[in-house]
This record gives sequence, C-alpha cells and structure tokens, in this order.
Amino acid sequence: MIDIAGILTDNILNILLITLGGILISWSVHFVPVGGAPAAMAQATGIGTGTVQLAAGAGLTGLVTAAAMMNVTDSMLLVIASGAVGAMIMMSVTMIVGTWVYAYGVGCPPASAKAKYDPITKDRQDLYVSQGTEGHGLPTVCFVSGVIGAALGGIGGAMVYYYLLIIENGLAAPDIVGIASIFAVGIFFVNAVIPSYNIGGTIEGYHDPKFKKFPKAVFASFIATFLCAILGVLAIGGL
Amino acid sequence: MEPLTSMGVMALIGAAATIAGASEDLESDVGSQSNPNSQVQLAPQMMYPHRIFNKAISGEPPSNALMCAIGGTTASVLMSAGASVILALAIGAIIAAAIHGTYATTSYFGRSASQRRFKQPIYLDILRSHLPVIMGYAFITTFCILVVSYLMIAVLAHPFSLPLMAFIWGITVGAIGSSTGDVHYGAEREFQNVEFGSGLNAANSGNIVRRAESGLRNGMDNSWFCAKFGGPVTGLAFGMTVFLSGWITVLFDASKGDAIGWISVIAGTLIVLILTIWNRNIEVAARKAFGPYKKDEEAEVAA
Amino acid sequence: MSVGGGGGGAHAAIPHNNIIAFGLVGGLVGIYAAYFLVDMLGEYMSFLGALGAICGIVWGAAAVRRVANYGLGTGVPSIGMLALGMGVVAATFGLAVGGVAGPVIAVIFAAIIGLVIGVLANKVLKMGIPIMEQSMTEIAAAGTITIIGLSTSMVGTFLFDEVMTGVITTGHIAVIFIAGGLAILHPFNANLGADEKQDRTLACAFEKGGIAMIVAGIVATIMPLASGALTILVGLAVWYVGFSAFYKRVKRDAYMITGSGLLPSKEELE
Repeated sequence: MIDIAGILTDNILNILLITLGGILISWSVHFVPVGGAPAAMAQATGIGTGTVQLAAGAGLTGLVTAAAMMNVTDSMLLVIASGAVGAMIMMSVTMIVGTWVYAYGVGCPPASAKAKYDPITKDRQDLYVSQGTEGHGLPTVCFVSGVIGAALGGIGGAMVYYYLLIIENGLAAPDIVGIASIFAVGIFFVNAVIPSYNIGGTIEGYHDPKFKKFPKAVFASFIATFLCAILGVLAIGGL
Repeated sequence: MEPLTSMGVMALIGAAATIAGASEDLESDVGSQSNPNSQVQLAPQMMYPHRIFNKAISGEPPSNALMCAIGGTTASVLMSAGASVILALAIGAIIAAAIHGTYATTSYFGRSASQRRFKQPIYLDILRSHLPVIMGYAFITTFCILVVSYLMIAVLAHPFSLPLMAFIWGITVGAIGSSTGDVHYGAEREFQNVEFGSGLNAANSGNIVRRAESGLRNGMDNSWFCAKFGGPVTGLAFGMTVFLSGWITVLFDASKGDAIGWISVIAGTLIVLILTIWNRNIEVAARKAFGPYKKDEEAEVAA
Repeated sequence: MSVGGGGGGAHAAIPHNNIIAFGLVGGLVGIYAAYFLVDMLGEYMSFLGALGAICGIVWGAAAVRRVANYGLGTGVPSIGMLALGMGVVAATFGLAVGGVAGPVIAVIFAAIIGLVIGVLANKVLKMGIPIMEQSMTEIAAAGTITIIGLSTSMVGTFLFDEVMTGVITTGHIAVIFIAGGLAILHPFNANLGADEKQDRTLACAFEKGGIAMIVAGIVATIMPLASGALTILVGLAVWYVGFSAFYKRVKRDAYMITGSGLLPSKEELE
C-alpha cells in the first residue's frame, strides 16, 4: 500500500494549485458567450454551440500548445501563458469566423439582447435585435468576454496539466505525460460541465445577469476538483 | 529542427486542417447534426414532416472526437505492427468512417421512430443515399486530422500520443464546425422561406424549408448550399486555429531560450488583438449596412 | 446540442433496480472473470472484460435516460462527458492504488465523486432534479466500469503496470474515454423524442457497446496478454444482435417505414 499521508503532505501545494486550475476553468466558462441551439438559428446572441464543447475545444487547444511548450522549457509561467494563448487563438478565430457567417451569410448585425448599450463600445443594442429573437451574432463585448474566458480556461487547463506533471514519481517521461494529459482532460470536462449546468446552457458574457451566478459554480468546482486532485496526486505520486 | 523545414510542415498541417474543417462542416450539413438539427427535430411536431436526415450524434465535438480517436487508435496499432504511415492512417480513417456510419444509422432510426405521434416516416432511400456521403466526409475529416496529429507528433516532436492528439483535435474541429459553418445551415438554409437578413423569429420555429429546387429537400441539397460558404469558412477557421497556434511557436522557437518563448506569447496575443479589431470593424460595417430593425422610440418621444 | 426531455420521470418497462444490479454485478464479474481466466486459461479470455464494460454501458445509458428526461438545460452529451471525466480520474486512481481490489476501489471512489457532484448540482447549483444525486452516482460508477472493462479487454489484465504502458502511455485511453462516453450518452440522445421507449434505447446501448468492444479488440491485437481476434468476433456478434434488436423495435415503434415516398398528406396529419 502507498503512503497516503506522506504523498499528500509532500504534494499539498500541487493539490491546491490543481484545484485553482479547476476553479479557473469553471469561472472561464461563464465568460464564453454561448447561445446554444438558438444561436445557431441567429435566435440568440453568442456562439451557436454548447458551452461544454466550446470551452473544451478552446481549453484542449490550449493544452496542446502548453504541452508543446513544456517539452522545451522549464518555466512554469511560460507554459501557462502559452496555454492561454493557444486557447485565445482558437476562441477568437472561431468568433471572427462566426461573425463572418452572421454578417455575410445570414445578413444580420451583431446585437445583444441582455444589455441596452454595449459596455465597451457604448453602441445601442436593442434596436438592432431582429423581431422575435434574443439577439444574434457577437458584439464587441461578447468577443472580448470570450477572449477573456478562453485565456482563463487555457491557464486553468495548463495549470492542471503542469502541476500533475511535476509530481515526484518513479515513472518514465512518456508514461507521466500520458497519465497527466488524460487526467487533465478528465478534470477539464468535469469543470466545463458544472458551470454549464449553473448557467443553464447559455450566457452572453460578463455583462449577462447570469454571470453573477458564478460563485456557485466556482464553489462546486472547488469541491469537485479538490477531490479529483487528491485522487490524481495519490495515483501519480504513488507510482 | 531547421526552421524552414518546420515552416513547410506547418504549412502542410494548415492545409490538411483546412480540408478537415470544410469536410467536417459539410458532413454535419448532409446529416443535419448539432444545433440546427433541433429545428429538424422540432418540425414534425409543428406539423411539418420532412425528408431530411436526422443525425443526432451527441453534438459535433464528441462525435468527431470519436471518429478521430478511433482512427488514431487503429493507426497507432497498425504502425506498431509495422504498417506504413499512409496505409495506417488510411485504414484508421476507413474504420472510423464505418463506425460513424453505425452511429448515423441509429440516430436517424431512433429519432424518427420517437416521432411516431407526429407521423414522421422513416425513408430508407434517405438512409441509403445519405449514409455513403456521410461516411465519405467522415473519412476525409478523420484522415486529415490524423495527418495533422501525426505530423505534429512525428515531426514537431509534440509529447502527446497519436490517439490523444487526434481526440483533442476532433473535439476542437467539432466545436469550431458547430460554432461557425452550422450557423449558415441553421440560420439561412433551413429558413430560406423567410426574408433574408434577420435572425429566426421564434414564431417560425420548426417551419423549415421542405421543398427543394426539384422534389423534396434532403440533406444533400443542404450540403450543396453550405458548400458555397459555410463549409469553406469552417475550413478556414480550423486551419487558422491549428496553423496560428502552432506557427507562433515554430517561428519563435522557445527551445532557443525562454525569451524567444515569450515573444511567441506576445505574437499570439497580437493576433488575438487584430482579430478583435477586425470583429469590431465588421460589427460597425454590418450595423451601417443593415441598419436597425426598429425605430428609436425614446428619441422620438424626446423630440 | 439538442434540447433535453420534457420533464417528469421516464416511463420504464424494465425496473431500474434490475438494470443497476445488471450493470454493477455484470460489470465487475466480467472484469474479474477476464482477469482470472486470462491467468488460468489463456489470453483469449480477455474479451470478457469488454462484456463487463457492455453491462456498464447499458447501465450508464439507462441512468442517463432517467436523468436527462428531466431536461438538463443543456445537451444530453454534457452528462456523458461528465461521467467519463469522473470515471477516468477514479479508474486511474483505483487501479493505481488497489492492486487486485482496484476495480472495486475505483467504483467506490467514482460513486463518491458522483454523489458529491450530484449533491452540489442540487444544493449549490439548484438544478432541482430529484434523482440527480442517485443518477450522478450511478453514471460515474457505470463510466468507471466501462473504462476498466475496456482497458482490461485491451491488455488482458487490470494491474496498473500493464494498463499504464498498454493503455495510458499509448493514448488508447482517449478512445476508451470517447467510445465509452458516446456509448453511454448516444442511446438516449439518438432516441430522444416524445415516443422514446426504454427497450429501444437500451438495445441501442447494447449495440454501441459492441462497437466499443470491437475497438478494444483492435487494440488487443498487439498486446501480449490479450487476444484481439476473439474480442473483435464477439464484438461483431454483439453488434449484430444489438442492431437487430434495435431495428426490430424501430419497426415496432415507427409511424411508417417506407422505401421511398412523399410526405404524409394533410389529411393524414390531422
């Protein structure tokens, strides 16, 4: 049997930082403007897909870039920053192409239904919402919010991966990459689903009233990730 | 590695990713998948039975991740048994496409059978004609993603394994496809019967176009339409994502020192900034070109 | 992402408790049978692990069906991804620390994580789904059984050294994650609708389990302690039986199955 208490006390910092990473992922999902199914019919503001999958797409792209960076450097900050950049690029490319489709393919201007004036550009929004819809497309505030969300998600995912990878253990390099990466993916999915249940699947960004609900999801993610982190640290540290 | 070589590899990766993105979107349009499918699902309930495929495979990201992970796994098994890379990737993609076909079949049968009370028939000719197309697109998508993943691992020395890498890019291509190209299908193609230039009025929900240029509309007609805009831009989106996120680290190679690594981070942030400004430009142009939908009542009252 | 069900409990022909017993007992028996019989009789018994996984998949699909009927506010897939996210953490932990008791420890810890997330969903996120705690526990445990069953079938044992080198380092865990996850979430998602029937959904789960088994068999062909050929053959048989059962129920439930034809006429619709 492994020395549970010993491993836990040795790696208490890793557990806390992995938990922090999970909290960041959970918080980040609240920033990403997702309109769910209605947005795909230009019936709601935001990106026309599900919260979980979009957050996962961005976060996992960040994980790929962070892991590539981790291969060549020891700097923790650099790994985490490149995770954030990878996720931000994925999210902003997705949003700009989404805007092309809304503007050129569907023919409607971006408009938010949750705010009368865009908090960033101060543009009037309600007049540009077409009849019978809850807004459409990605006004500047949603775009910026999405970029922030992607950055936080990328940082969170990279942190989980980084602090799993540096746990002391007796494994060879490819083994530890394998187990840390799949753990990071698992923890990412758990923390992407919890906030999407919190916001009921759709949100416009940080200006949306639903954004105020984030402490609940962050608290739930804190407990869930803390449990997962303990299991992960025990599994990797015990080898 | 020689910077020029890695640049060439990056270009190849970008090209393969672009094809993968485009075929992913068209695959989801032929079968009608993900969010726009909610209208295809709703239509019979609103008394509009139709002849459109109903491929409800759990949303695009997981279904593409499944294809790519199966392809990646099979390819890595074949490669460790000594098969050549191209053969391994091709066979992996064939098996993935076949399994995708079973998922498409069960969802068309299952969803349609669950609409008994709305009298939605199951048309076997729709299944027979659409399934090869769906599997063909699935093959192209999987093969291209496997090429991207393989090149990143074998040439650019990424630490992840092939199945995991393919899984991650599968999730990403699905997330991008359902966020970009699907909007063209959902907001425009399904509702060509309403005036161009607005979102879908909630009152029209379920009233999808069911008649085609000739005969009754099916998924193939939809992919013909979406291949003109939605598919290619999805390809550009995925190609840009894969290319730009890799390009900055190839151009500013962090293995030559952390300072260069930080330059790559700055370069990535600059790209994001440029895209944000571009989005703002399109927003301003679209507001000007299309104008408001309503009059400003407050201003009138004030006047 | 498709919208969830209309709310209220799901009608079931097979009592849910029987399915729980089938999934839990069948799953663990399959996994342990594979482990011991591979030792005693030879590597070709490794296919039993995947049969155990199929029990887990059917259980998971039944649990997803029950909880998703209440409407989750977002797509059905989210809950499948959550199940496998929890499952992969618990399964790796259980196998890493548990030795021969690994699968049982993994299932217990998965159930604990699932219960905690279920309680959080109702108490903190206020989702208000009465069976959330129970369903999350079940889904996490079913996901874990699926992961361990497929891993066992791939490498012929669930001892962690073999699983580590054969499944995790090589990245085959990714295909287990997604093939198992989709097998659990796809059946209800694919049969979603007003006239969804439990037995048709579960037949679909069985069929998708066969697919996951075939994939496990493909990987097993290069593993020294497992036999791929038999796993693939049994997987194909399971798939065929599952698909036939599914198609039979489609024919029973559908409004009409026709080779080709026009849309139903106005008179028919009224």
